[in-house]
Amino acid sequence: MKQFIRLTIAISVMACIMPSCKKDLLNVDNPNTITEEQFWKTEADAEKGINAAYAMFYKPGGWARWIYFRLDLTSDEGCSKSPWIELADWTRFQYVNYNFWEGNAITWRDTYKAVFRCNQVLANVPDIPFTDNSKKDLILAQAKFLRGLHYYYAAIMWENIPLVLEPSKPDDLPQQYPLAEVWTQVEKDFTEALAVLPVQWDDGNVGRPTKGAANAFLARTFMQQHKWQQAKTALDYFFTGAGSGKYDLMPNFQDNFVHTSENNKESVFEIQFSDVNKGGDGDDPNQNMGSHRAQFFAPRGIGWSDGQARYWLVNEFKKEKTASNSLDPRLRYSLFYPALQADFGDKVYGRNWEWNNDEAWFRKYQRDYFRTNEDYFSQDNFRMVRFSDVLLMYAETLNELDQTITAAKYVDSVRARVNMTPLAMAHPDALLSKDAFRERLKTERVLELCGESVRWADLKRWGDLETQTKVNLVAQRDPDFNNFVVGKHIRLPIPQTEVLNNPNLDQNDKY
Amino acid sequence: MRKRSFAHTFCCAFASIQQKVYSTASAVLLLIALFFAQLLSAQTSHTVKGKVTNQKGEALEGVSVTVKGATAGTSTDAGGNYTLQVPDAQATLVFSNIGYADMEMSVNGQSTINVQLRQGATDLGEVVVVGYGSQRKKDLTGAIAVVPVEEVTKRQATTIGEAMQGLASGVLVRGGGQPGSEARVEIRGLKNLTGTNPLYVIDGLVTTANRDFNPNDVESIQILKDASAAAIYGSRAANGVIIITTKRGRKGPMKVDFAAKSSIQTTPRYDLAGKDEFVKLNYMAYDNAGVPRQNLNLDVNTDWQDAAFQTGNMQDYNVSFSGGGDNGSYLVSANYFDNKGTVISTGFKRLGLRVNAQGSKGIFSFGENLALTNARADEMSGNPYADVVRLLPTIPIYDAANPGGYGYGSESRARTFGTNPVAIADLEDRTNENFRVRGNIWGELKLRPWLKYRLNLGYETSADNYQYKRKEGNWTLNQAYDPAIYNENRARWQTMLVENTLSFSERFGKHSVNAIAGQTYQRDKYGQVWGTKRNILQNSSSGSYYWVLDQGSEPQTGGYLQEAILLSYLGRVEYNFDDKYLLNGVIRYDGSSRLGRNDQWGTFPSVSAAWRISNEEFFKVKWINDLKIRASHGTLGSSSNLGYWDYLPVINTFSTIAMGTGQNTFPGATQVRLANQDLRWEKLTQTNFGFDATVLDNKLSLTAEYFIAKTTDVLTYMPILMTTGNDGGNPAVNAASLRNTGFEFSATYKGKAKDFNYYITANLTTLKNRVLNLGYGRNDIFTGTTVTKVGSSAAMWYLLETDGLFQTQQEVDNYKNKDGIVIQPAAKPGDIRFVDHNGDGQISNDDKVVLGSPWADFELGLNMGASYKNFDLTMNWFGSFGSTVYNGYRSLVDRFDDNSNYRAGIKPWTPDNTNTDVPRAYYGSTLNSRGDSNRWLESGTFMRLKFISLSYRLPASFVKRIGFANAQVTLSGQNLITITNFGGLDPEFNNSNMFERGVYSFQFPNLKMYSAGLQFGF
Repeated sequence: MKQFIRLTIAISVMACIMPSCKKDLLNVDNPNTITEEQFWKTEADAEKGINAAYAMFYKPGGWARWIYFRLDLTSDEGCSKSPWIELADWTRFQYVNYNFWEGNAITWRDTYKAVFRCNQVLANVPDIPFTDNSKKDLILAQAKFLRGLHYYYAAIMWENIPLVLEPSKPDDLPQQYPLAEVWTQVEKDFTEALAVLPVQWDDGNVGRPTKGAANAFLARTFMQQHKWQQAKTALDYFFTGAGSGKYDLMPNFQDNFVHTSENNKESVFEIQFSDVNKGGDGDDPNQNMGSHRAQFFAPRGIGWSDGQARYWLVNEFKKEKTASNSLDPRLRYSLFYPALQADFGDKVYGRNWEWNNDEAWFRKYQRDYFRTNEDYFSQDNFRMVRFSDVLLMYAETLNELDQTITAAKYVDSVRARVNMTPLAMAHPDALLSKDAFRERLKTERVLELCGESVRWADLKRWGDLETQTKVNLVAQRDPDFNNFVVGKHIRLPIPQTEVLNNPNLDQNDKY
Repeated sequence: MRKRSFAHTFCCAFASIQQKVYSTASAVLLLIALFFAQLLSAQTSHTVKGKVTNQKGEALEGVSVTVKGATAGTSTDAGGNYTLQVPDAQATLVFSNIGYADMEMSVNGQSTINVQLRQGATDLGEVVVVGYGSQRKKDLTGAIAVVPVEEVTKRQATTIGEAMQGLASGVLVRGGGQPGSEARVEIRGLKNLTGTNPLYVIDGLVTTANRDFNPNDVESIQILKDASAAAIYGSRAANGVIIITTKRGRKGPMKVDFAAKSSIQTTPRYDLAGKDEFVKLNYMAYDNAGVPRQNLNLDVNTDWQDAAFQTGNMQDYNVSFSGGGDNGSYLVSANYFDNKGTVISTGFKRLGLRVNAQGSKGIFSFGENLALTNARADEMSGNPYADVVRLLPTIPIYDAANPGGYGYGSESRARTFGTNPVAIADLEDRTNENFRVRGNIWGELKLRPWLKYRLNLGYETSADNYQYKRKEGNWTLNQAYDPAIYNENRARWQTMLVENTLSFSERFGKHSVNAIAGQTYQRDKYGQVWGTKRNILQNSSSGSYYWVLDQGSEPQTGGYLQEAILLSYLGRVEYNFDDKYLLNGVIRYDGSSRLGRNDQWGTFPSVSAAWRISNEEFFKVKWINDLKIRASHGTLGSSSNLGYWDYLPVINTFSTIAMGTGQNTFPGATQVRLANQDLRWEKLTQTNFGFDATVLDNKLSLTAEYFIAKTTDVLTYMPILMTTGNDGGNPAVNAASLRNTGFEFSATYKGKAKDFNYYITANLTTLKNRVLNLGYGRNDIFTGTTVTKVGSSAAMWYLLETDGLFQTQQEVDNYKNKDGIVIQPAAKPGDIRFVDHNGDGQISNDDKVVLGSPWADFELGLNMGASYKNFDLTMNWFGSFGSTVYNGYRSLVDRFDDNSNYRAGIKPWTPDNTNTDVPRAYYGSTLNSRGDSNRWLESGTFMRLKFISLSYRLPASFVKRIGFANAQVTLSGQNLITITNFGGLDPEFNNSNMFERGVYSFQFPNLKMYSAGLQFGF
């Protein structure tokens, strides 16, 4: 018994040496990061929140990789000869599995992932006290611009989509809207952003959207709906509005596609890629801020070569010479093609032409100008809107508003940069009618902008995919369009699991 | 709340134990010191000695000797001798041993009691560890299976889980094979939609029996299957509990045991086309598609399986020293395990040391179990089981023209992105090394003969090191350039356990009561740091790299912490009236830090009862020796499938952007992963009915169980819509309710004819699951190939249905819906005809229907053994019947649209070969090979000889002459015979994605193994 007492005392002593006592023993705080509840309190939080929305440009579903397949390769400018058959099928209207991640679902997911980030800013930042409220407004305006941008491209791709405008909850089953209502939302976001965004940012913030960027996207949105008058109003900003004189064409066409002359005077909005982080594309430390496009679009043996250019582009460039009777210099910086070395003296990543004689690859944003291989970390900014595009958009708008002759001068200025004679000299027929001008403009846009992810929207806007007759014409340039079913392939199928799991969402027509 | 305040008194103490890092250690030391410091006078009690023999008069070792109605007990040493202190001279001793009938002897004041045990079929006398105590097997009221350890240790396996397959009913084991891989163990089917891993309790320490744990150290394994049995582990036990005790020393002089096993392993192989057949088929596919043939390199004929696979081997050496005196015993064991994999550049090595000791002095007893292990796995890069199929026979293994010097796909000669397994094995090296210390120390204080207090302190820690070495060079076509990269992480895992239990055991006439009350506290911690550098320095003359993080450029680092706490109170009462009526009640009250702050606590009660009919006076059925019926009902909880802070929405601070003319980096922060904040306990309510019988003069023993298990509020990472923008994993949610009903039957017959002894055990398990509801108010969850619908089983196949091939153009043209629309206008003869289920005249996603179940109808284990004189033969068969599985392998080799190798002997449809179910070969179109059709479904039924062994005990006279106590040689084989129609590599595969349960996609197969073993002791 004595021992028992001694032991009991010992155990009690043991218990007593232990000093403090946490009140809620089971409440283990997460030591790794702050909680959502603790965030969205300060100006710095708001800035980080909007920055995270920009970071979505670096994700593979969007502008780091796969969206180029939807916009460039699906159009008649490009194609895929990937040995990965399913991947290639998704650039030629052979959509079998609508859940195919790389072809469809990841781009859908990353669109909404970006929207979620914008919505968080829009919902939380208004309640954060700012010393200077104009700063707050600027942050909200950027979020609206970015949300508008992502919904703009979603509308181009899937058309009838759910509009999520509040921060997401796990059990959300958002309502689908018809295209027209999606456009209304996109217009609203861009318009509200436009009112606040500055004409220019200071040096430290160059790369954020300006009034010019908002006007350009607003114009694109109106143009897709053939709201020409409103489009003109938006574009007037560059010529008669506050943006007048702020933009100009770079003398050297190539300056628009290399990392050594980014954010130049021709740039209206560009994605700021960087190679300083060599991490992956997940939401982890050191995440990649580079573009993977160059790795995926580089010719076989250099990159994956999952995407390449249609050869008709080469022929189109060669149809017209410059004022000094030489080849259009844009050909040199737009495409890799068999005669590149013969025509301009350039090798392909230091190699002689080793590919087929009827093949071509996009050269814009490829980094052969300073290296012989590619990787996932391209620092070369993607110019989403260039001033030359604005000029051509303005020309198109004016022409649709029956101001064909005025329109011509904006095309001429784009041509003049590469020493092409004015339309009146080179293509006088184009000035004779609105329709003729529009047809000429289609070519002018290809020569200036091929490989810059505008072609799919162009084809849709021009109605070139509306009838079988017109599709047949496109198919002459790109046989992939032989698979195109009118009324069906004009939009992508919505990922099937989304349709099945959301009662408020229907699959697009004919899928 | 009284419980809470009681809780706090304890938990304050124990929380702060680990608040100071070393105070745990000092507390332990204090306790040990206490024990040694005490000089206690021995209690006055009666001592009984004796010897236990079998009918032949041979000494029996390990016979359990207990005092009836009390927990005191011992076991016999190698000479069959025992010594036991009994509380009073009128006690009754119970002698029990596996394979022998129990025997009860009254002490009646004697000090020497020798007994002779009679062999019988039953092992009801066996003592079973049931968690915080033990029970006689015959007194069990819940569903508990005892795995025959002697069968387990005969097998050559890396982990204990892998070695258990087919040895207990209701326990499914899948996986293993890959060096250092850990098998998946599933008890009584799918209880939820995420993890199925049961709880492992090793020597009272809640842990995992992972690859660091040496299966040779095991003394007993019991599997708690139903709620009442497992309830004492409350919230941790929803997936069942596997209780393992490790070997300990016994009284007697030092005993040395040595065991060595050596095995060779071979992998099953695919039957793939050789060069000539491949070329013929590839040309056919291109020709049919009108695509110019690729310029195949006809000078090459590579057998990629020869290149990637090798004969593996395994070596397993164990030595143990054990012994003990009156008041203590010890066991020290050492293990060296080495596995060279069947895939090149893979392997696993383990070095283990265990020290178990215990002692007693008066009313004190204490003991410890300590295991130190270092395990190192050379991990597989890529998946060679898929790569050998994706690569073409016309690709050379080496090609000096490629960076790194290895052959792979080429745009003009071999259009495939298949990975060269030889290249990746060389260029990408991954190793994972863990040094683990696992142990516990316990002290027991016998306050009264009927009252014991026990303190158990457990601690486990591991130092983990992962290394990734990527050399410069390519392994696949058009690969992006990477310089030499080195990534390394170092981590520390710690888990700490403090348990206090008070147990009571007393007998009042015919009433016997055992009770236990206790508290446990467990805290898990993990922390990792990692670093990566690129452009690692290379020695220009030797080509070797300097794999240290000092070298290289572009540094990246990271690290994170994890922590979880579980605090529980438990109680159990066992009541036994006259060995006829048995009643058992358990309650456990658990709190978990992983759950939402308002839902951390849960109460989990259970009751069970049994009636031993055969002990009733009226029961006079002569051929029934023992009959017991039992029933149980209970509730268990679960939260261990959760991550550490799943209930907490957090901000991801890792995004950065470049901005400004200088492209400077700015930080971003946002919520990336959504969270449900109200996560609460998942609850499993289980009702079990069973009976145990031994009949025919104890020759035949039967056990049957029927159970209904209903899981509500299943915690799962249920897929949510992509329109939420959620990333980083689906949020955890209390989503679904599932019901499992099952029947388990086990029968053992033991027979004897002179020197010939034999037994046969059959285990049969049937299991049906049904989804009762799904989270977020949904009625179904779809994945690419399956649907989980309320009211039916989970993960049913949801696919397009095929209906043979079109033989003629006319058949294509005539295949119309009721409105006359041609359903597959683009099809050509030789293409697949799909069923237009919705009749809309086209084949689309809307035509998918449910086409089968991935769940087996029943599973069967057959264990047989026979011994004749010194020879011993054992055989274990395992079979699974009635599942429908998706053969991902065939979906690759039976397609012609893409370049990969083809199945040998495949004959696609041609106008001359129409009697086939293989559609025409057509390069570049996925229509005939689409993954979402039932073309790839197959029967998953198989029966397999898991294990066979023949052993020979060297004659005792010979053994004695060379100075040994015993010696035995064993020859054995694993997975030698498989009977199946499944066309993949291995029908016994494991898919951890619950929604794709039956998808075979090149999982590492079970290997054939031939082993020789030697055991001796002296």
